[in-house]
Amino acid sequence: MSRGLTSGLVVLVVLGGFAAWAVGINNQLVSLDQQVNAAWAQVQNQYQRRADLIPNLVETVKGFAAQERGVLESVTQARARASGVQLTPEALNDPRAMERFQAAQRELSGALSRLLVTVERYPELKSNQNFLDLQKQLEGTENRIAVERKRFNDTVAAFNTRQRLFPGSVVARVAGFAPKTFFEAAPDAATPPRVKF
Amino acid sequence: MNDYARALAPEARARLERVLSEGERATGAQVVIAIFPALEGESLEDFSIRLASSWRVGRKGLDDGAIVVVFLRDRQVRIEVGYGLEGAIPDIEAARIIRESIAPRFREGRYEAGLEAAARALYARVESKAPAERRGKARGGFSVPVWGIVGFVAILAVIAVMLLREVATTRGLSRGYVAGRGGWTVPPIIVLPPFGGRGRRDDDSDSGFGGFSAGGGDFGGGGASGDW
Repeated sequence: MSRGLTSGLVVLVVLGGFAAWAVGINNQLVSLDQQVNAAWAQVQNQYQRRADLIPNLVETVKGFAAQERGVLESVTQARARASGVQLTPEALNDPRAMERFQAAQRELSGALSRLLVTVERYPELKSNQNFLDLQKQLEGTENRIAVERKRFNDTVAAFNTRQRLFPGSVVARVAGFAPKTFFEAAPDAATPPRVKF
Repeated sequence: MNDYARALAPEARARLERVLSEGERATGAQVVIAIFPALEGESLEDFSIRLASSWRVGRKGLDDGAIVVVFLRDRQVRIEVGYGLEGAIPDIEAARIIRESIAPRFREGRYEAGLEAAARALYARVESKAPAERRGKARGGFSVPVWGIVGFVAILAVIAVMLLREVATTRGLSRGYVAGRGGWTVPPIIVLPPFGGRGRRDDDSDSGFGGFSAGGGDFGGGGASGDW
């Protein structure tokens, strides 16, 4: 075998090995990226579930405490605003978009908290089975939101780690993978509205 | 049935375990009970979902598990419902089971009776719903296509082999070879192994306590909490 052919083969094998590694990194990133997107879809699902409960809640409260129009309206409006802020998977590496989404949901959480505090003053409402059921559903949904947020953060951590570890990070940058944003708990974020009577 | 607080006499525990395994045999779903003495600073829901995620009650893929978690001193109880049972046991129903089956009996100190009533009620709800209706959220799974890399390398190897064979014939290393007849042979068909394992039932670890073996079920935070 000539020297030229030997070195040719060596080059081929080395290049092949490098290509296989790079493809491996890229595919891992793609897979982790998909997991982030799937987790995000779950987060949005649960927030939507919460939003779906609210009209019923507002109607029930109105039945007993129609005069609390201010609080009821702020809940309805906050819900509309929150539904308007959707986050597509592409925007998951944009901290500002994430912050806007979280701010909208936080506002809704705040309005719900105020509503539940208001309800305290209406004993008939507090003991109404329909209201109690809705409250249980709301609690369940808030719990699900918390679980999905944590899982989303876990997938983001896995992705970001892979994206930043050298030398894979070079491949990541070339292939256009940017780090994702976590769900942060704001310093003043209240725990989800959970008023125990 | 895992009684870390020794709230139940052994016969009571055995009876409960029988109710639980009967229900599991009848419906396929897996209800597990865990009694702890006290919550230690953590919130009930945080603890419960951590427990559920680590125990993986219920069958993988079907996620048909549920855990009744009791904290005696805090007088708190939670029913943690797996993804697959969210249709059969929605939050309101879990809350009702706590309110009607567990709390009244627990208030009288009749823990076994309360837990038995809860177990029966849970399995009854599962049974009343057809399997298709039991599912809550549909969950997707992912397999990392590691085998794509292997296949790529394999193709490279085949090319290298073919090159070597070309080299061998033209340089006459296999003497007596008739020129024009060697050349490229039909490469062997590369059979790629199937993509990573989703169908495997993994994690059949008998944790050595409580007599249940985890099936790999997943939980999403559904269920209800209550106190007595």
